[in-house]
Amino acid sequence: MERKIQSKKRYLWSFIIGTAIFIIVFLVSYSISYLEFQRVSNLQGNIAYDIFEHKLDYSFFNLGTCNNESFKKVSEDLGFQGSIINDLEGKLGKENKVVLEKKKFYTLIELEHFEFVNMLNKDCGTKVNTILFFYSNDKDDVVKSEDTGRLLDVLYSKNTDNLVIYSFDVNLESDLIKNLMEKYHVETSPTLVVNGNTRLFNPKNINEVENLLK
Amino acid sequence: MEFILFVIYLSIYVGLVATTFYILSFLSDRKKTKEFLSDDELPFVSIIIPAYNEENSIAKTIEDILKSNYPSERFEILVVDDGSKDKTFEIAKKYESEKIKVFHKENGGKGSALNLGIKKAKGEIILTLDADTFASPESMKNMIRYFKNEKVVSVTPAMVLDKPKTILQRVQQIEYLMGLFLRKAFASLDAIYIAPGAFSAYRKSFFEKYGGYEEGNITEDLELALRIQSKGYITENCPDAPVYTVAPSKFKPLMIQRRRWYYGLIKNTWNYRHILGRKYGDLGVFVLPIAGISILLSVFVTVYFFFKTLFNVYSEILFLRSVNFYFGNVLNFNFYVVERFLFLFFSNPIIIFVLIFMIVMFFYLHYASKKVGRSSGLVINILLFFFLFALLFGFWWVVSIFYAIFYKKIRWR
Repeated sequence: MERKIQSKKRYLWSFIIGTAIFIIVFLVSYSISYLEFQRVSNLQGNIAYDIFEHKLDYSFFNLGTCNNESFKKVSEDLGFQGSIINDLEGKLGKENKVVLEKKKFYTLIELEHFEFVNMLNKDCGTKVNTILFFYSNDKDDVVKSEDTGRLLDVLYSKNTDNLVIYSFDVNLESDLIKNLMEKYHVETSPTLVVNGNTRLFNPKNINEVENLLK
Repeated sequence: MEFILFVIYLSIYVGLVATTFYILSFLSDRKKTKEFLSDDELPFVSIIIPAYNEENSIAKTIEDILKSNYPSERFEILVVDDGSKDKTFEIAKKYESEKIKVFHKENGGKGSALNLGIKKAKGEIILTLDADTFASPESMKNMIRYFKNEKVVSVTPAMVLDKPKTILQRVQQIEYLMGLFLRKAFASLDAIYIAPGAFSAYRKSFFEKYGGYEEGNITEDLELALRIQSKGYITENCPDAPVYTVAPSKFKPLMIQRRRWYYGLIKNTWNYRHILGRKYGDLGVFVLPIAGISILLSVFVTVYFFFKTLFNVYSEILFLRSVNFYFGNVLNFNFYVVERFLFLFFSNPIIIFVLIFMIVMFFYLHYASKKVGRSSGLVINILLFFFLFALLFGFWWVVSIFYAIFYKKIRWR
């Protein structure tokens, strides 16, 4: 006894509905990523403005930045934005053009902030530690770089009040980063430059970095 | 795209199309008008209880089936003791009457015990009942009504677990409940290829024409279901016939049971591979191929994630050692963390797909609850199912495939 297929239409509808749900989910998740990307763009502008404003307040108008609470806020936002860029890398890809552009601008903001912190340390007597973290997404270095990044996350959580970490992708097409690497004699990744003077390559334990902080 | 990601998305896509197809089939079946036997037309039924070392449950099984609302003069009970080493035979013997007959034979496996019962049966319909299974009073009658259609040769019930206690039983409870929906969807396609041997009804004429149970087959009920399909007959499903069985409570007996089921499924499906293709309608074109593809994909993904998790745990330990096992950052909880988590969560398509499948699962369970009543502790059991079933399923299948490939011999017990 032969059996017949009950309804060919049902197969067609299942294929259409299944495919539609599949595509819609990707569109939704991509839209969320895009919204997040837009938020980062806006946030970048705000942070850049804040940093430039505070720097100018201090260097140009000589206003009392030393006791300014806004330093804390600016540093916090900087870290948050770094995290979001990290997430966007994961979602949209490490080679994604728009992400790379955002990273370039982020690099600029980081350096502004770095200079600002150095000024505070020098003129206000604050003891904020800085770490320049040079990482790479190259196949050979990415695992080491990610491990170091996680180690620095923990280090930051232990020293939120007196530590700022600046991350730089050494593969980013940026003259700024190249100049920075030359200035601090950085040749490989992951490398840390602690407080502008001590270089540390691929730390294996948090103590190695912690011992170098003020 | 990474290969594993491709496999995951392929599994999800296949799952979405298949789920849509089964839901549409289920809904279309509800519109069909079916004919049922009236009370006056109910045929004589022979209930066969094969028993091997069932001294703890045989009395309750007999007493429970006697409570059935099926007309008392239209059924008989045949207990076949398959060479038990305990007091099964003696206990069953105490119930012997004109209605209840008790037979003893040398141990030869469940198939041989059922065949003896079929030989002795007077009924037009054979109902097999395991000694550790009991049915609701209305189940038998509701099932037998489906034999109005001459092409229906077999009817399956709504098989659920009786009072799950251990974690493994709770996981199995959800699996069984979800099975109720799928079984109905398969029935709507005339594509049921597994009939629970614990409680299923058959036309005796089928056995007379095509032979009884295949003795020595470790999943003789599965073989019979495939044989029914291969001869072009219909296996129906009666969701209004709750039947309660006991599931293994510990890992090892559960593993042995699943290894037998899945190994039997591989062997028997291979023996009946000719039913794949257009000649066997939706079963051959969609249901069986999709089942095979889904099993292979899920096994691949589960095995991958199992080893990846092991590797991740090892890496995590190394990392924690590098930060002197400092956990303070875990407590560093703020608005940004929540915000980022939500972003990471909802921008991941896999998470959204998981949520969709969860909704489908709740739909399946809602249907099951309507049919067999709401079970207590369902929410906890669902969570346990979500965390454990995929891993268990993958593990059972890997072991079964290993046995099938290397021709390892598996016995019933």
